[in-house]
Amino acid sequence: MSKIEAFAGVDVGSLGTKVVILVAGEIAGFSIIPTGINTEENGLNGLSGALENAGLDREDLKFIVATGYGRISAPYANKTVTEITCHARGAHYLHPQTRSIIDMGGQDCKAIRLDENGNVTDFAMNDKCAAGTGRFLEVMANVFKVSLSELGPLSLTATTILPVSSTCTVFAESETVSLLARGEKPENIIVGIHHAIANRVGGMFSRVGIESDVFFSGGVAKNIGMRRALEENLKIKIAEPEKDPQLVGAIGAAVIAQNSWKRGN
Amino acid sequence: MALKIIDTIKKRLEERPNELIKARKEGQKVVGWQGYNIPEEIIYALGLIPIRLGVGGDDRLVEIGARYISTKNCVFCRETVGLFAENKDPYIQNTDFLAFDATCLQTYRTAEILQYYFKKEIVILGVPRNFYWPEAKTYFTKEVEYFTQRLEEHAGVKLDSNKLAETIELYNLTRKAIIKIYDYQATKERLISWEETYDILQAGYFLDRKEYLGLLEEVLEELEEKQGRPVIEVDEDEARIFISGSVIPPGDKKLIDIIKEVGGRVVGDDLWSGLIPYLNVEIEDYTPAGIALAYINRTPHGALPYLDLETDRRIIRMKELIKSFKAQGVIYHTLRYCDPYTFKAKETKDVLQQDGIPLLEIHTEYAVSDFEAIRTRVEAFVEMIKNKQ
Repeated sequence: MSKIEAFAGVDVGSLGTKVVILVAGEIAGFSIIPTGINTEENGLNGLSGALENAGLDREDLKFIVATGYGRISAPYANKTVTEITCHARGAHYLHPQTRSIIDMGGQDCKAIRLDENGNVTDFAMNDKCAAGTGRFLEVMANVFKVSLSELGPLSLTATTILPVSSTCTVFAESETVSLLARGEKPENIIVGIHHAIANRVGGMFSRVGIESDVFFSGGVAKNIGMRRALEENLKIKIAEPEKDPQLVGAIGAAVIAQNSWKRGN
Repeated sequence: MALKIIDTIKKRLEERPNELIKARKEGQKVVGWQGYNIPEEIIYALGLIPIRLGVGGDDRLVEIGARYISTKNCVFCRETVGLFAENKDPYIQNTDFLAFDATCLQTYRTAEILQYYFKKEIVILGVPRNFYWPEAKTYFTKEVEYFTQRLEEHAGVKLDSNKLAETIELYNLTRKAIIKIYDYQATKERLISWEETYDILQAGYFLDRKEYLGLLEEVLEELEEKQGRPVIEVDEDEARIFISGSVIPPGDKKLIDIIKEVGGRVVGDDLWSGLIPYLNVEIEDYTPAGIALAYINRTPHGALPYLDLETDRRIIRMKELIKSFKAQGVIYHTLRYCDPYTFKAKETKDVLQQDGIPLLEIHTEYAVSDFEAIRTRVEAFVEMIKNKQ
């Protein structure tokens, strides 16, 4: 039996599968892979990748917590926890002063409030449609024929913010195509899209309230343009992430795994 | 383990459509009704058979209904229209005429649609928009009196005061029994769940009311025998949920099943399709006017505005129920395009937050496409409540 006490958090999201390994409370390894059609296999592959990254073996893992929409197909996990709770714990681990989280993932967007111990006190999620999510930005990037990672830097070169009235993915796509046809500059449209999403996030925070420090997690948090739009729109300063913000849910899951092991459940 | 009597109730429900066919052949008339303020006592006292219509949870029927009304209308109303359009439901088939009230304007409009497209004869009960003024009481009393006259015409008999008094006594006992069963479902012993209690409550809208009271008494006998008096206490590691908001009709199990699946426990509700119409019904004068006054003094339906939050009976009652059922959080269920309740979601959340009661709004319809998204929200809410302990 391995003497190493390692804990894993597996976050199987709609676009990416993220895995974090914790040893003695420190991040020992991680992996990020695209999510395919077999979510169980994705989780296991992500787990193998993260263990390899940490230089550990499967028997070193004492407890695994699965989260994300793929948590329901994770027989390898000892426990499943929602991504809302995991993002709160993950943000608290990385930045204990966090009281509000904006989480933008592949298929949803959340406003989360938490207390000084990293416990969720309230939350709101986008309803039904993909507006304000990674998928939405993917569709938009496709319209501009750029990669997802180029959207943020491009938006920072905008000279004006063009209002994009609709945040429904399909309607926003047709609106964007119309704006391009009218000869509007892509960067001015992209910044408008970011602000439309930021507006929607503002609506979610009006339901749960916003308090500093504000943490931005999820894959979309890598988008510098989105971050800027949120800061301007919500009149807030977003805390600087010390780790990849896409890993926050998996970090939280690993923290819960460690705590669960210590508590014996 | 489920109570034995629950199986009997289920069996009686299965047999009920054939009983209605037989009763109609023998000359009795069936009144299909929908609304919050329909005085069922008067229907029953006239020898008519009251059946509350409306089911939920079937997206196929919603789509059929949307051929007659807008897809931007309340999903429950669309399904009601779909039921009539399809005309396969045995209760719809065995209805002689309809009675709808104007509490919720979408329900009222549904009645108009049923009249226009399906040639249904409908008796409408007008409802004031403000239940607190003396003039509103006068208006509603007149409406109930007129409603009674219309029913008398259909029944071919005049309302007998002795029969009405008997019926009111019967309904009073029914109300008392339901309130008592609700206390049992919230106890640690869990001999009956909220889901079973809710199903029993719905059964009352289909079964004969005399027989139904007998069945409720049997439920209570079984509970009293096994458990004694109900004492509501919180169990360890529970997430006790109170349900509020839009109608949850028979057949609409999505949210309730999710709550159970993720480890939550429903312990109470103030739904207009649930407990709330059974509370605070004090009929002092056993006449149609007396019933009207008692109904107007109940907790009003969500379609009516909050005129003064501090004194609004709905908020006061909701807080009392949350306290008495020892609920730890509210799941506020809003149906797509159910404006009355959707409008009040944030306001209700903010009001309850002042008392430290968390509220999660679940906005949904009868399609299953949002199942996973709802599960995540409800599961996170349950985790939040459990982590607080």
